[in-house]
Amino acid sequence: MAPPVPVQAVDFALATIERYGRRDLEARLRQARHRLLDEQVRVLVVGEFKQGKSLLVNGLVSAPVCPVYDDIATAVPTVVRYGATPQVTLVRMAGGAVPGGDGSELRSEPVEVPIEELADHVAGHVSESGNPGNRQRLSAVEVAIPRDVLAGGLVVVDTPGVGGLNSVHGAATMAALPTADAVLLVSDASQEYTAPELEFLRQAVMLCPNVACVLTKTDLYPEWRRIAELDQAHLKAARLDTELLAVSGVVRWQAVLTGDAELDGESGFPALERFLRERVVGQADLLARRSTVLDVVAVTDQLRGSLRAEQQAQQDPRSVRELIGRLTEAQHNAAALKERSARWQHTLNDGIGDLNADIDHDLRDRMREIIRLAEDEITEGGDPTKTWEQISAWVEQQVATATSTNFVWATQRARWLAQQVAGHFAEDREAILPVLRTESSDALSAVRPMVIRENEPWGIGQKALTAVRGSYMGVLMFGMMSTMVGLSLVNPFSLAAGVLLGGKTISDEKRRVVARRQNEARTSVRRYVDDVIFQVGKDSRDMLRVVQRDLRDHFTAQADQMNRSLQEALRATEKSVNASKAERERRLTEIAGELERLTTLQQQVRTLVPSAIQAAAQKNPTQKDAPRNDPGKATAISAS
Amino acid sequence: MNDHGRLCAEVRGVLERAVHAYGDRPETRERLCGQLERLDGPLRIAIAGKVKAGKSTLLNALVGEQIAPTDAGECTRVVTWYRDGHSPRMLMYPRGRPPVGIPVDRRDGALVIDLQGLPAQDLDRLVVDWPSQSLRTATLIDTPGIASLSAGVARRTVRFLNPEDDTPTEADAVLYLMRHLHACDAEFLAAFRDQGVARAASVNTVAVISRADEIGGGRVDAMESARAVAARYRQEPVLRGLCQNVVAVAGLLAQTARTLRHTEFVGLTRLAAASREELEAALLTADRFVAADGPLARAVPDLPAAQRRALLARFGVFGLRVSTALIRERGADPAELAAELLRCSGLDELQAVLHHQFAQRRDVLKARSALLALDGVLRDVPCAQSGPLTAAVERIFADAHEFAELRLLSALRSGSVALPRALVGEAERLLGDAGAAPAVRLGLPAETAPGERRVAALEALVRWQDHAENPMLGRAAADACRAVVRTCEGLLSHG
Repeated sequence: MAPPVPVQAVDFALATIERYGRRDLEARLRQARHRLLDEQVRVLVVGEFKQGKSLLVNGLVSAPVCPVYDDIATAVPTVVRYGATPQVTLVRMAGGAVPGGDGSELRSEPVEVPIEELADHVAGHVSESGNPGNRQRLSAVEVAIPRDVLAGGLVVVDTPGVGGLNSVHGAATMAALPTADAVLLVSDASQEYTAPELEFLRQAVMLCPNVACVLTKTDLYPEWRRIAELDQAHLKAARLDTELLAVSGVVRWQAVLTGDAELDGESGFPALERFLRERVVGQADLLARRSTVLDVVAVTDQLRGSLRAEQQAQQDPRSVRELIGRLTEAQHNAAALKERSARWQHTLNDGIGDLNADIDHDLRDRMREIIRLAEDEITEGGDPTKTWEQISAWVEQQVATATSTNFVWATQRARWLAQQVAGHFAEDREAILPVLRTESSDALSAVRPMVIRENEPWGIGQKALTAVRGSYMGVLMFGMMSTMVGLSLVNPFSLAAGVLLGGKTISDEKRRVVARRQNEARTSVRRYVDDVIFQVGKDSRDMLRVVQRDLRDHFTAQADQMNRSLQEALRATEKSVNASKAERERRLTEIAGELERLTTLQQQVRTLVPSAIQAAAQKNPTQKDAPRNDPGKATAISAS
Repeated sequence: MNDHGRLCAEVRGVLERAVHAYGDRPETRERLCGQLERLDGPLRIAIAGKVKAGKSTLLNALVGEQIAPTDAGECTRVVTWYRDGHSPRMLMYPRGRPPVGIPVDRRDGALVIDLQGLPAQDLDRLVVDWPSQSLRTATLIDTPGIASLSAGVARRTVRFLNPEDDTPTEADAVLYLMRHLHACDAEFLAAFRDQGVARAASVNTVAVISRADEIGGGRVDAMESARAVAARYRQEPVLRGLCQNVVAVAGLLAQTARTLRHTEFVGLTRLAAASREELEAALLTADRFVAADGPLARAVPDLPAAQRRALLARFGVFGLRVSTALIRERGADPAELAAELLRCSGLDELQAVLHHQFAQRRDVLKARSALLALDGVLRDVPCAQSGPLTAAVERIFADAHEFAELRLLSALRSGSVALPRALVGEAERLLGDAGAAPAVRLGLPAETAPGERRVAALEALVRWQDHAENPMLGRAAADACRAVVRTCEGLLSHG
């Protein structure tokens, strides 16, 4: 397979700039090249359970990858990507056994599986029955199959249904949204959207650039057009501008089996494929092209800047002094950008500091609320051993939801911060943003589970002992008193008192046991939540630190490149002062030739992006950034 | 059972005393009179579930007439009561105002409910009086769906079935419809159980897997698949504590089977005349089946598209597959077809469950509802007679073994009282889990002779007396055994 066009363009640019010996600029292009080759387009298939998600994925890739059953639901995400041979890889959660594991995942060796047996093989790992309660502790199952649809880097992820009995899945799906390039919300044609589905959509459009709604099972419901209309009305009422695609997995499957093109058209899948190709893959491709253009143009502009400065100096030696002055100032500014005291550094450091505090406070606040509710529940609920299962499940679910919401918020804030920092540089903000590594925390699986001691020794023997202790005191006390009026130590009165006191001791003891259990349950919940705050807090701090480091390195590199370009220009200009006329003439023709070459390169690379889009892309940032008076502004190569 | 009659009489007596005691407070009196009326009336079964679970369709199937309006979109927006009456009549109860009559209008059999411009949230309920044999034994209450997009609609149902204040719910029993077991279904059922109701609501709830034919994608074996799902849910610990039983029903098919028209049968016969392959190819999608020109239109030219559309709407893909197969292979006539479809839809099974688990227990359920309501009134609005009346209510609660049975049954199902595993099944059966009739409780066929039944009851009694005295059992378990012993004694004295 030939490398994609943007990669070829980068290779060409690399070859062109090789002669200038600018290793830093070459590194920037190499990085861009690496990013292009590594690119994946992740499509998440989400929805409530039993809506036909797995069948949709199977239909999309025309292969029986995900198991489809009437009853049993998917419990573990299945990741379907391109591979030369059908292979299954299990991805286990790491750090479960070792507290504070590094969050990396353990991948099993890929197993080759014939394509007909894929679904059965996968079912053993991802279905509720094959892997009940995810006992195999898998975080995903990866399936590689040789299908052209996937060859462009498309990765389809079949997620467990949201809202099943175990809705920790919902939180996990939400946390996966920021890393997805597209989300397909699957809902079957039996009914219009429900409140939770629309709520999910609302959140999804905030986190993911491409969201589409898929209406499945249109073969089964004659009224599916009505439902589609109703859904569209709901989407409109909620101001959600998402496309609605109606498909039938069954018909598609039939079409795959028989190779009937007309049937395939009826299934509605071609429209879905078109959406994925044009909107999702197309957009990702466009983004890749645009960033390639910007990278190449930025690099060549820096080279051209140096050359132009030299050209001007050679042509007009009298202006050299003034030129040197300007260049020195610009270079001074560029050098200042590298300093710790540069304003973008302040913005970044302060921003990360604020972010850390806010995220931590948000997490603690959410957790405190959960603890409060759980404690109320325990206090009012009598003996907690009876309701422990429900309470602990509730706490776990609430905690999962809270951490995922917290994470989503942190991601959004981090992105916003990156844009703020980029604002200090005068280029197109979007384009120079690095890819932020915000991976969701897997800390929840590393936290020890909540437990309380179920069987305390409070059996017959214990009770009898307590009763005897109480009654012994009673008999003794009242017996002693009654001996004073002449009765024997053991008499009916003292015996009665003994029985009464014995009973009272038992009931007291019982109340004490319940109170102790309640205390224990409260402590257990607190300890669990504390553990979660500890782990998740550490993970989110780590994540922010990574973000900070990435942004700092990225922008420092940018500042370095500018500084270096200006230095080169300065050096060339200074050298030109002492040059002879003949040298000058020769150099001027050389410079003209080189400028010509770089301009041609730029023009060629620009053709990667259709002109209309490019014009729009170029117009916006200049408008946005024009009025700013930042130190970064001066670094736009002054000579150009 | 005579016992139930006695219980009702006792409850009625207390209620009458209370009505007398509250003679000077018309509002409270009204409430109590309502309870008295309810005690004499039929059992009230509410049909609840998520949006589009098929509540109105199932209601129609149970009534045997297509009266409740159904639609592809969300349809029921107000709690609607369907009860037996001499002549059709519709009353609308706006909140805090006297009821208003609305004209009865039907379109294609279904009632046209015109709220006369009143917003649904201002209405407390709609009451439909309808002359029907099926409604004579039970008043059916259709409720708006839970998790509906219009939050107000969902709230009305939750408020109706699970009111926030302490007043007991208006329904005696609940049919909970779900398509798959969803977290919010379980939540709802759990909330419903927690509601005071003597902590025993799971005994009056039956979960229904509605639209069961769709689980298997309308294949011919779809119902078997759905029944397997129901069997699995029955064993699911979460559901066991929340409801009595789980039944799979294909609501649409049941409704159609009970209201099968001759024209439809004729249409089906024509369809059945087409070859099996042609029909299967056409039934691949709903769109193909109703297409104006296609292979099917050529194969069955005397069945226009409009009729095919109507057939599909009434039978669904599954219903069409099954009924054409029945006509083609067995040459079924209309009556046979209706009966077979009814059996296939699972409605028979649901009716049997309703009969065993609600109808036979209805006096107990009604008495319990009435006592709880009275108890609430006594607590809220004290009067001179409060003391003795409260005592009377408590005495009935403590005395009536039926309540103890219900409570124990619920405790056993939710697992809050643990009997040894080997005993649970028999205990539940003796307590009337599968049905209140003596033979059913003893696990004998219905036609068993009284003598044999006595022998069986005696054996059970001796066995459970042994269990009750088993020193290895905890106190709660021993209490449970003693309650079962009392049940056995009752069986012996009646048998």
